[in-house]
Amino acid sequence: MSETQGWPVAELDAVRRLRVLASAQGGLYAEGVIAAPFEQVWAVAADLEGELPKYLPDVRSLRVTAADGDRLEARARGRLGLRARFDGVLRPGWCVLQSRFLIGGIAAVPDGQASRVAFLGSFRAPGLRLLRPLLAPLERRVGRIVLRRLEAQIHAR
Amino acid sequence: MTQPGSPDQPADQLGELVRVAQRGDALAMNDLLDLLAPYVGRLCGPIALQDGPDAAQEALFAIFRRLGQLREPAALFGWVRAIAVREAVRVARRSQTDRTVTGALADLPAPGDPQLATDVRSLLARLAPEHRAVLVLRDLEGLDEQAAAALLKVPRGTVKSRLSRARRSFRKEWQA
Repeated sequence: MSETQGWPVAELDAVRRLRVLASAQGGLYAEGVIAAPFEQVWAVAADLEGELPKYLPDVRSLRVTAADGDRLEARARGRLGLRARFDGVLRPGWCVLQSRFLIGGIAAVPDGQASRVAFLGSFRAPGLRLLRPLLAPLERRVGRIVLRRLEAQIHAR
Repeated sequence: MTQPGSPDQPADQLGELVRVAQRGDALAMNDLLDLLAPYVGRLCGPIALQDGPDAAQEALFAIFRRLGQLREPAALFGWVRAIAVREAVRVARRSQTDRTVTGALADLPAPGDPQLATDVRSLLARLAPEHRAVLVLRDLEGLDEQAAAALLKVPRGTVKSRLSRARRSFRKEWQA
């Protein structure tokens, strides 16, 4: 906790921020500790073109088409050939991407010698939101897979 | 590309940001988080102390879940303040059930008291969460007793007498 003129200030780290976003959006949310320093974890997580397609099951490729400060635009192609344009924000420990139908987020913070990492995936379509209770078990499984793949990519580097 | 929100942005821009976030736009929510998290942290830190990050998180859960209920974006910060202070008191009370609190004999210094400037943290630690909330609303937010009472949902007289009694108690200890 930091201070402003002697008054304690509560800090909201990136993982807590993603929990807030997830609580508002619903959908797939997974969180875990990866046994690697933050810098090592974020070097992989934030490599959207090179590494993201390796740890996100549905993404075949992603290309960043524009960047301005921490804002970016990207084009993604899915495993089934679907294409989508994403707008996003990318800064150390924090990334949120949004297309017309999908929202994705990843956050990481140091946790001792390791890192706490969180992942969010959510549909924007209201109809799909109604199916959320049915999708919950699948979402939990996918969340664990994403974090496992990310960890494997980090240790493979 | 969407530009981030700023505390200094005009009211119409803030209103548009809130309206887009209310429709579920994740990037607008990101910008709103950028705007609100530091403010919520300044309110929750002095009230919930070591539980401040949990309190700020709980407050932002409530804020973003209820965002659709905010009809007037110009009232955003007052609305956020009410939720954050109540959540901070709730989290602090929940967490301190096993601890001894000297809130009944709370020592609230007057605004501008040198003790307040030099020893805020240890002073706050000796107060009950409700008293810390009064101090934050009065000294950090500049609210008068009536507004503080309304936000905390207690009679104005309760806030006034509590402050007055606590100040006397503080002076007595300080001068001893």
